[in-house]
Amino acid sequence: MQLKKIIVILLVLPLFAFTMHKYYVSLCEIEYLKEKQSVQIILGVFIDDLEFTLNKNIGKQLNLASKTEVENVDDYYKKYLSEHLLVSVNSKNQSFKYIGKEYDGDIVRFYVEISGIKEFKSIEITNNILINEFPDQKNIVKIKVKDFNKTFYLNKSNNKSLLKF
Amino acid sequence: MIKKQLNCANYKNQTYKMKKLLVAVLLTVFSTSFFAQEAEQKTTTTKKAHYNESKFKQLHEELPTPNNEHRASGAPGHEYTQQQVDYKMNIVLDEENNKIFGEETITYHNNSKDHLEYLWVQLDQNMRAPDSNTPEISGGGPDVMYSPSKFTKTFMGKPFQGGFNIEFIKDVNGKDVNYLINKTMMRINLPKPLASGEKYVFKIKWWYNINDYFVDRGRSGYEPFPDGNNLYVIAQFFPRMAVYNNVEGWQNLQFTGRSEFALEFGNYEVTITTPKDHILNATGVLQNPKDVFTSAQNKRYEDSKTAFENPVFIVTPEEALAAEKGRSKETKTWKFYAENVRDFAFASSRKLIWDAMAVNLNGKTVMAYSLYPNEGNPLWEEHSTRAVANTLKVYSDFTFDYPYPQATSVNADRQGMEYPMICWNFGRPDKDGKYSERTKKGMIGVITHEVGHNFFPMIVNSDERMWTWMDEGINSFVEIYAEYIYDPVLFPLTDYPKNIVGYMSGDQSGLEPIMSQGEDLTNFGSNAYGKPAAGLFILRETVMGHKLFDHAFKTYAQRWKFKHPTPADFFRTMEDASAVDLDWFWRGWFYTTGANDIGIKEVKKYYVTDKPTKRAENMAKSYGIALDKLPPSLYLVSEDSPEFKNDLKSKKPEDYNLLSDYINENFSSEEKTALKSPKYFYELVFEKPGDLVMPIIVEFEYEDGTKERKQYPAEIWRLNDAEVTKVFPSSKSIKKITVDPDEQTADIDLGNNSWPKQTENKFEKFKKDQIKS
Repeated sequence: MQLKKIIVILLVLPLFAFTMHKYYVSLCEIEYLKEKQSVQIILGVFIDDLEFTLNKNIGKQLNLASKTEVENVDDYYKKYLSEHLLVSVNSKNQSFKYIGKEYDGDIVRFYVEISGIKEFKSIEITNNILINEFPDQKNIVKIKVKDFNKTFYLNKSNNKSLLKF
Repeated sequence: MIKKQLNCANYKNQTYKMKKLLVAVLLTVFSTSFFAQEAEQKTTTTKKAHYNESKFKQLHEELPTPNNEHRASGAPGHEYTQQQVDYKMNIVLDEENNKIFGEETITYHNNSKDHLEYLWVQLDQNMRAPDSNTPEISGGGPDVMYSPSKFTKTFMGKPFQGGFNIEFIKDVNGKDVNYLINKTMMRINLPKPLASGEKYVFKIKWWYNINDYFVDRGRSGYEPFPDGNNLYVIAQFFPRMAVYNNVEGWQNLQFTGRSEFALEFGNYEVTITTPKDHILNATGVLQNPKDVFTSAQNKRYEDSKTAFENPVFIVTPEEALAAEKGRSKETKTWKFYAENVRDFAFASSRKLIWDAMAVNLNGKTVMAYSLYPNEGNPLWEEHSTRAVANTLKVYSDFTFDYPYPQATSVNADRQGMEYPMICWNFGRPDKDGKYSERTKKGMIGVITHEVGHNFFPMIVNSDERMWTWMDEGINSFVEIYAEYIYDPVLFPLTDYPKNIVGYMSGDQSGLEPIMSQGEDLTNFGSNAYGKPAAGLFILRETVMGHKLFDHAFKTYAQRWKFKHPTPADFFRTMEDASAVDLDWFWRGWFYTTGANDIGIKEVKKYYVTDKPTKRAENMAKSYGIALDKLPPSLYLVSEDSPEFKNDLKSKKPEDYNLLSDYINENFSSEEKTALKSPKYFYELVFEKPGDLVMPIIVEFEYEDGTKERKQYPAEIWRLNDAEVTKVFPSSKSIKKITVDPDEQTADIDLGNNSWPKQTENKFEKFKKDQIKS
């Protein structure tokens, strides 16, 4: 019964995008700072879409960004990010440190960091944020190294961006 | 002449360098050819011509030539004409089979000056027909999962049997009319051309299978409930006349499901037959409440017309709960009349509650209605009708008093779609009746947006098929204020225009100008909704100010209500009514993909002296004047120049006799007290890496903690698009300078917005705060 419900919800969601009041997008800003040997990542996501996704995955109401928000919400965030935002630097998968999050209106911003990167030769991002639940989800990835800027537009059929220096 | 001299100098310089390099012959040969090439390139660069590339160039080439229908002022001209189409329809909703049947009589009035050889009718439902182009033209990889029905539909040749089944088309004499269907457009081949001023009457009989919009998407269809009931939201459901105007001729671009509608105004007489236990509302006014309501409901319907304070029930939650348990086999017929509307839609279900509130708009009463199932409560009875009433008031203030008798919000899950006087809106609480602030915000937001569409495009009737931004963008702009007035905490104005920065700062390859047809947009929401709304917000709050903007905006709305405006009519009216040249803004924000990025590059502090500076000496020399013959003057010396002496720091301009004498001789004591006494003089160099031009807003923070603002108009960039310098006098020493401190101009890079330069990025700042707390 539970599974059936989930399937119904999954099939229903694509329609929503057609009605167009809102749109599905996340913004992932990545900056490499050589002097700090650090890859800094800021990921902005619409809270309602993330809440829908997490509630479904976890099977309970998290009440994100409200007075009744679950206490260990950061654990759920950490887990979701580590599973859905995969970063490989210099062809090696990297785990990142969860610095924290901030709520800003409809958006939650996550700050995560990969440290100890002395040389920055390549970066590969696999961004699966919300794409299973929202087929129209677009995930924008911006990479900045000094004055170099590159933007990738990812979606469900193209969820990887690779950049080599 | 000057150019030539410069080239000569270069040449000399190069020969000198070459001599230095005469160590190896080979190298010299190489260098010579290199220099030769460089010199050549320089010559060609100076000769290369270009068109007027000024960001302030007027839009004469972009805007269509004005004529007697669309004037240069942006108003409709004295030869402006518009067709009228009246409909008489009898509709039957067959709930058992999810089919809808209709017989409609169309009266087409040719008000244009042209003879029409044929008429075009829109068959929007054919977008769901098995031969529809819509699935063919949409790309994309495999879906995450496929239900059996979706699998058979997609891969096994068993599509949904949607689309119109036309049973007949006849003229007034009952004679068959010749027609041709091209996907979602149908050409009526007239027996003889329809002359200007004539009308043509014909009748169409049709039916189609209603789609479950949970499965087949769409802005119309039904929502199935676990209790076996459906909630029907029925729209673009009858063959509708296409628009004929002097801008597009026949607007017969195909309907693919995305770009919305272009429709003519007219009067509608409609009957709808439904199961007897259904509750229904539609575009227009119900003509037979006594026939379709119980007597108690009918009394409440009449009483609600004076309920100005709070919403009251016409159909109660208890009545809806009782009705949804049954399934009547009997029918009843609802009769509606709608005057001067461009379309007709209705919602029907036995699950519906109906509440109502009267709204006073300058002495005229308009009804705000909401229809929703019990699943929508308590959220809907608390907010829907109040949000409708608020929207009508705020939009009326911005444009004109809402001219229709009612506005209805219907709760349909996962919808947000507008029609004249009626719209479908999402937003439901959890099963236990609890809802988050976000659910509430989404629901109030969508209701405000969709009810707001009554003004744009239902009344100010732009062509949605061609220009999505004209209704979505302009509507999203007024929506910002309507939401803010409804709940300033939930909808703060400070979200704008920075909400669009994420989109505008993206790679240019992923951006399209707003002036694109809706079908061609990769990022529909940001481009057609967010960006134009943010742009108008900048115009109102930062560029024009409320007084000038509001009058011009109102003028546009009033000039074009119940008419078909084009983008040029909007652009021109906004300037015509305000005397503010906005061509630079339209050009940059609407016609290009450029973004705004203004920064402060350099700040120099100057002091006053009466001793001629090196610059003054040079000037005197170039004019052949002796230094002591220069007229008595004051000079500014930069703190970092070798001429600067520390004792200048203690001097005020009035300490120099030449200035104090001048002041004493020329000004009255009153004038003297009004004079400012600047002590420091700052040279500010602003840089503009961004493509757009924008006003420069600067905040000066003084050593004593006080602040001051200065705004330079966008025209400051007229002569130099990359960098401008200003001198700012001040009586106090400046500690910090911030460009656009409140983020009013959608600046995409705040990294260069402050002096002294901020080295810490957003991430570092957050990390530091995080450690602190």
